[in-house]
Amino acid sequence: MTSAPVEVDRPDVRGEQEFAEETDRPWTTIVWNDPINLMSYVTYVFESYFGYPKTKAHKLMLDVHHRGKAVVSNGSREEMERDVSAMHSYGLWATLQRV
Amino acid sequence: MIAAFTRGPDDTVHVELQAAESRLLTGLFGDLLELLLDDVPPGLPDEVDPLAAELGLNGLGDDTPPARPDDPALARLFPDAYPDDPDATAEFRRYTQPDLSTERRRRAAVAVETLERVSDGGRLSLAADEAAAWLGALNDLRLVLGTRLEITKDDQEPGEGFGPGDPRTAYVPVYYYLGYLQETLVESLGG
Repeated sequence: MTSAPVEVDRPDVRGEQEFAEETDRPWTTIVWNDPINLMSYVTYVFESYFGYPKTKAHKLMLDVHHRGKAVVSNGSREEMERDVSAMHSYGLWATLQRV
Repeated sequence: MIAAFTRGPDDTVHVELQAAESRLLTGLFGDLLELLLDDVPPGLPDEVDPLAAELGLNGLGDDTPPARPDDPALARLFPDAYPDDPDATAEFRRYTQPDLSTERRRRAAVAVETLERVSDGGRLSLAADEAAAWLGALNDLRLVLGTRLEITKDDQEPGEGFGPGDPRTAYVPVYYYLGYLQETLVESLGG
């Protein structure tokens, strides 16, 4: 069961906010679980690089550990390339992806 | 008593090392440095143009992006940034890998240099910037060793499934030792 696509003529004008969301923050940095990095170290990296409070850093680390990956930041492509590069420097397995 | 980092005043950290530990760590960080030197971006000319070197322009005319390293340990240190986009990944490598490699060598060199202070054993004190370099270098070392020990799953025994006489088995205690050392360093740094 599926629904038929509805063709609607829409004016080709997008709201400013929608536009801003699509252009400014459509990328994410993802950190993947790996069996070598220490849990305490990964938490420490999230705290010291992103400036996240310890509770948030710890929760993100647990997300990575239990779910296999977690989105740790989002922003423009350039910002996310910077974050991914920093994560690689810390030795974390990170990738970036468009939302 | 196994070596553990403790926090001192003014953001310093300390660790008491025996001469044998100091030698072991110097050797391991030296091996890491050597491994990182293998990571020379391909396609660089053998003959370095002295003028270009002076101007810092070496490699700028080279359009060949560094490929994913063949060595699994190096591939772990320099992972693909875009899992589904080889072109973007290659471009990302071109802009980030040389600097990242330089930074990794710098950290390992700091570890080797600071260990010279305790070549006969003793208390090694690290300033904040030295401790940060140690933390990165220790982690790099564990990533390399863990990859060599084929650790691919959480809670897996390192070296599991290796045949008797596999020379890598000798590194299992070293891997645990480095993990403990790093754990205490993270704690001392407030992690």
